[in-house]
Amino acid sequence: MYEKEDLLEVRKVSKTFRSGSAEVKAVDEASFRAQKGEVTVILGPSGSGKTTLLYLIGSLERPDAGEINVFGEDICRPDADLVSYRRKRVGFVFQTFNLIPSLTALENVTLPMDLDGVPAGEQRRRAEELLAGMGIEGRLLRARASRLSGGEKQRVAIARALANDPDLILADEPTGNLDSATGRVVVDILTGLAKREGKCVIIVTHDEGMLRAADWAYQMRDGQLRGIEI
Amino acid sequence: MRSVKRGLRSFVRHPLANLVVVLLLFVCLTFSLSMLAVKMAADSQVEEVKRSVGNYAELRVSLEHQMQVYQEQRGQDPAKRQAEARKMSEEELLEERAKILVPEQVTDDFSMRPEIISYDKVLEAVVVLPDITGPGVETLLSLRRRLSPGSAQASSSAGGSSFLFEGNTHGASASDFLRGAKRLVEGSLYTYQDYLNANPVVVVEKTLAEENGLRVGDAITARITGAEGRDSEMELTVIGIYETVEAESGGTGQDFQTFNPAGNKFYAPLSVVQELNSTPGYVELGSYYLDSADSSRTLSLAFQDMVSEGLVEGDKYELATDYSDFESISDPLLKVSRTSTIALAGALGACALIIVLAMFIIVGGRTRELGVLKAIGATDRQVLLQYAAEVLCVCLVAAVLAAGASTVVSQQLGDWLLRENTAAADQASQAQGPGDLPGGRTGIPALRNMEENLYKKGGRFSFSSSPTRQTAELDVIYRGILLVYGILILLGISLLGTAVPVVWINRLRPARVLAME
Repeated sequence: MYEKEDLLEVRKVSKTFRSGSAEVKAVDEASFRAQKGEVTVILGPSGSGKTTLLYLIGSLERPDAGEINVFGEDICRPDADLVSYRRKRVGFVFQTFNLIPSLTALENVTLPMDLDGVPAGEQRRRAEELLAGMGIEGRLLRARASRLSGGEKQRVAIARALANDPDLILADEPTGNLDSATGRVVVDILTGLAKREGKCVIIVTHDEGMLRAADWAYQMRDGQLRGIEI
Repeated sequence: MRSVKRGLRSFVRHPLANLVVVLLLFVCLTFSLSMLAVKMAADSQVEEVKRSVGNYAELRVSLEHQMQVYQEQRGQDPAKRQAEARKMSEEELLEERAKILVPEQVTDDFSMRPEIISYDKVLEAVVVLPDITGPGVETLLSLRRRLSPGSAQASSSAGGSSFLFEGNTHGASASDFLRGAKRLVEGSLYTYQDYLNANPVVVVEKTLAEENGLRVGDAITARITGAEGRDSEMELTVIGIYETVEAESGGTGQDFQTFNPAGNKFYAPLSVVQELNSTPGYVELGSYYLDSADSSRTLSLAFQDMVSEGLVEGDKYELATDYSDFESISDPLLKVSRTSTIALAGALGACALIIVLAMFIIVGGRTRELGVLKAIGATDRQVLLQYAAEVLCVCLVAAVLAAGASTVVSQQLGDWLLRENTAAADQASQAQGPGDLPGGRTGIPALRNMEENLYKKGGRFSFSSSPTRQTAELDVIYRGILLVYGILILLGISLLGTAVPVVWINRLRPARVLAME
């Protein structure tokens, strides 16, 4: 079991993109909190800034203003160890899966552990365990990622996100490229991660159907974030 | 290490893309390594030629002067000339005899030049040996020598056979022995000490010795030529017997000075031959070996300075070198070296272009992979090492294949380049006309032949079908240094290839890459 505690606090975070003389405020003073064991869904149409907000939380982008605290530590500080943060504290699940096509399912999952210096035997054991939990077993373990179906790819991607046992799972349109049945399976997996393993799951999507899995939900429009009733 | 392993795995997992790059690199690297090998072989060959050709000079009476003396004497009545000779004092007779000889002092002074590493003096003379019977073949030299007043008189008055005597300061440094045309089979050669002490010793030809029952230790009598009534005799001790290994090159008439088909040639210390010829203090030539072919020009300039300062009579003496031979041999080699350097630079440039373009395509095609790696916590260093290992693998495979292929093709490429350059040089020579051939300063064949007839030891560079041109072959041998250069090329190309991912990784923003559909 796990204790509910604040894991993520996003405070007045802003991000503006400039292209020549044009400026686009992708995220405008967004603020919210998320706890372990909860699924937070951020809804919004394309171009509303929800993916940018997710990347800001995942430290793939730096905010122009505001704070992002993970377990009370501001990851926006210039001296923050972002490499370690990305390896151990956060796991990404992308709409397009972003697996490395030349690697097998097993190798894709062991990759984050390999980068973190986990011994080879331990990598393999944990990867097989995670993939088994996602229903990927047998010959699929050694199948190249490029040969897997969309659902299989997304389950491998989730297993990879969990490889170094992060507290925070950031999912960007995780069902966007899947049929509805497979999408439901993926949503169930993500919900299960929150409920059973106490992960803090943030899902950004334009699919309102995802709200059924949410503990908390926000609407993003023109970079501005506001809470919505479920 | 893990990054390197990932790089190796990635190399194996992208066979098609890597194979294309490997093949392109293989072609360019094969050409690069071949050109490098050819260039090194050509350079090394030029150095070898420098050690054998172009580093030799002779100080001697010019052929023009010899011809002038000859013309003067031919115009005189022989009887009158002999009558005049009879009236001459010893000093006057010596001066007359030495008209086509060089004072020993001049050759000695010139030997002090710092470029000269070894020095010898040579005198050939026709000597009458009353008790020895020879084949009776008169050498062309003896004919020539008989034209001079003293010798003519002596030869005509000789009761025995005339023989050619070659004298120098050390038997082992005689050209024929150095060249291997003659080989000592019994006894010993005279030494420098024999020369200094004027020891009356002689080395005789084997057949001649057998026919005359001569053995080492026997004595033979030689007649010393002098003015009328002033002949004397010298007893010479046989200290060595030699045999002729190969026929001398006088058959074509090019080398008349050493034309001696029956081997009736004697070798004795220079001081002894000088005494036998009654020309003490005079030599036919000073023979100099230089530290390098590069010094040949310096020495020629020094000689010209000596002439302009009046230390040497420029119209009487000349400094003959084999530098023109060196040029004719080394020119095609130098051209091969230059051509191969340009080709090497071009091929390396192509290698660089291929690896950079290939890496741009490869890394560009795997931008998303880079973004993923960074998103899941890979450091720039880890990503870079992975790609560096992959690039190194590509280059290594190409280099190993290229090294193998270049061992097969480099000799052919080198031979082809040498052939092309030699043919071009020949065409240029023919276009210039015979007067400007590298072997001679003038268009008169006799003078050119004379200039080539140097008293030097033979080398591996033999005369080709053209009498004025010597040739060299290009032996492309793989040396250790080539491996070092090969590794440096490999590392250089790998580093260049790695530079692409370095730039790419530094500029990469994973959020942008991952956001792309």
